[in-house]
Amino acid sequence: MANPAMSRVTRVRRHLPTSPWLFAAPGLLITGVFVLYPFVSTLVNSLTDRRTLIPGHFVGLANFRELLHDDMFWTGLRNSSLYVVGVVPALVILPLLLALLVQKNIPGITFFRSAFYTPVVASIVVVGLIWVWLLDERGLVNSLLEAVGIGRVGFLSDQWLLLLSAMAVTVWKGLGYYMIIYLAALANVPRELHEAAAVDGAGPVRRFLTVTVPAVRSTMVLVAALSSVAAFKVFSEVYLMAGPSGGPAGEDTTLVMLVQRTGTGLTGRVGYASALSVVVFVVTVALMLLVLRTDRREES
Amino acid sequence: MHLTRRTFAAVAAAALLLPLSACGSGDDDGGSTDASGKVEGDITFQTWNLRANFKDYFEGVIAGFEKKYPGTHVKWIDQPAEGYADKLSADAAGGTLPDVVNVSPDLLAPLAKAGLALDLDKAAGKYKSEYLQGAWTGHQVPGMSGTYAFPWYLNTGPLFYNKSLFEKAGLNPDQPPKTYDELFADALRMAKQSGGKVATLANVPTVEDFGRYGVPLMNDQGTGFAFNDPKGVRLLTKYKELFDAKALDTQALTATPESSGKKFLTEAVAMNPGSALDLGNFKKNAPNLYKNIGITDQITSTGHVNMYVMGVMVNSRTEHTPAAVAFAHYVTDAENQMSFAKKVAIFPSTAGSLDDPYFTKEDGTDETRVRIAAAKSLKNAVNYTPVLFSEQMKTALRNEVARALQGKESPEAALDNAVKACDRLLQQQG
Repeated sequence: MANPAMSRVTRVRRHLPTSPWLFAAPGLLITGVFVLYPFVSTLVNSLTDRRTLIPGHFVGLANFRELLHDDMFWTGLRNSSLYVVGVVPALVILPLLLALLVQKNIPGITFFRSAFYTPVVASIVVVGLIWVWLLDERGLVNSLLEAVGIGRVGFLSDQWLLLLSAMAVTVWKGLGYYMIIYLAALANVPRELHEAAAVDGAGPVRRFLTVTVPAVRSTMVLVAALSSVAAFKVFSEVYLMAGPSGGPAGEDTTLVMLVQRTGTGLTGRVGYASALSVVVFVVTVALMLLVLRTDRREES
Repeated sequence: MHLTRRTFAAVAAAALLLPLSACGSGDDDGGSTDASGKVEGDITFQTWNLRANFKDYFEGVIAGFEKKYPGTHVKWIDQPAEGYADKLSADAAGGTLPDVVNVSPDLLAPLAKAGLALDLDKAAGKYKSEYLQGAWTGHQVPGMSGTYAFPWYLNTGPLFYNKSLFEKAGLNPDQPPKTYDELFADALRMAKQSGGKVATLANVPTVEDFGRYGVPLMNDQGTGFAFNDPKGVRLLTKYKELFDAKALDTQALTATPESSGKKFLTEAVAMNPGSALDLGNFKKNAPNLYKNIGITDQITSTGHVNMYVMGVMVNSRTEHTPAAVAFAHYVTDAENQMSFAKKVAIFPSTAGSLDDPYFTKEDGTDETRVRIAAAKSLKNAVNYTPVLFSEQMKTALRNEVARALQGKESPEAALDNAVKACDRLLQQQG
């Protein structure tokens, strides 16, 4: 007769290798179906001339060669890169200042924290439409500018102003989100450090630069990494404000807008759009690595 | 059960290789092209943004069909106007295209080229004589033999104008421009009189504008675009003049149909194309505009207005070809088209229907006057949208037009570039 204790151990041992996989299975399945498969599929499609309704043939690197000669690709790359340059510094610094502002526990501060966070939860379509109404040639902002004698400004008709307006919306919408991240980081900065600096005669600006910034530096790196990836992949803000054509003569088209425009519809060039997506992926990963490398260099 | 490394590697390899299987596969697992069998079975019917206003009408049509053909069941799906092409492409690529689908000729062309639209010359050629010849041939695709959709309703689309703004500019509100030359003269005057505050147009010229100006859109063989001829350059040069004088709205370069509709509603723009459904919108949201609304025909210098054609195609892979063909024909037959036309300002594509007293006899009302005028202009209307003109081509033309209007390129260079880009896209379509 078998020892019951031994038999249980054997049973457990027999099932042990399977159990972790079973627990991980739902996550693996979802990742496989919605992340891995589309990713690999995009890589494969980028090497074909596949269209929406016509299965493609292997064309090697022809799509990548073509995009090097495509003016719209360079326009998209320029705009997506400018978006990173314009938006990331603002999203690293402004939410930190905002967090410092609402960090103090004074009566009514919860209202301001909620108010600053509201744009984050608002639908991007609603936000986009509101800003389009505000910045329209006959909108509120232009009426005010005209009233003070500046005259109407073509926020939605000038190529560069349009891109700047879209950046402003991205920053406005993202402030609250990154503010929350900074609030959590600021809560971990020891009060004693500030007190010691104050005793040594450091003013508020000096304390901010020598105490606060070093203490939240890793959070700033995180915010820089997150916001640069999001900025490079911008779509909604520019699409809503510049229209499906990507602004006047398509000059405000971003790379992701180009992917959407090229690869969708009944005559969509899925192969070429996939090649564009691969470029977006490579640049995004490069951006992340650049931010992390900069951080490591500063640390060392 | 052990999940070995080998098993894991096999699963990973399958995940990596599965997408490759999509390459080069194009097996036609379609249904029969024979529509002569018994009309029975469940079919799906997809319309394009029609449920909101015509639910009762379509339910009546479906009930009538199911009664006429016992053993059939029609499931009706309606898709919103926005993103209709994307919805069709997703369904077509995923193999879930409905059995009977509402399409326009430019949407039909890629579906037919992919072998997804049933050739009705073969499957339903006996019905051909029931329709206007131009409407039937309007669903043929250059480079392919056959006809791929039943003609459905036709429209020319009215052009609305603001009589009050015309009057303020010293223009006769009862004599709106008819030709492009008249339009350009009136628009420049309107801009001058209003100090650039009121534009006449909110949109840059489209391929249909080039067509109505008398510009040849494609070469005789239908193998390449030709709108960069001297007449096309003249049209774009004139639009540049309008843009510089603010007779064309300053935000026209990024305008969408929605944004230009809003400009017209707020009386920032004096003329805007639309549909009969817009009248209700004006009445509700801009009563002041509604009081001063003028309705006229599209601007044309060829004597022919642009005709918008709707069709109903049958999915070539339907499992119930006889039922799908019978239903597509039923929806588009003379009786049902006439009944639909009495509910909304559209016009039947069936032979002889436009001679019905409903489209010829005055009863003293403005509505009837507009309907009769539209039916009359429809008799020699032309579908100026080239069947093979894809969304990507529209964007290419629009971007080059915008460059010319901004002065970044000459109109000539802009049109040359647009034609080059459209020709390249045409070749890539195969």
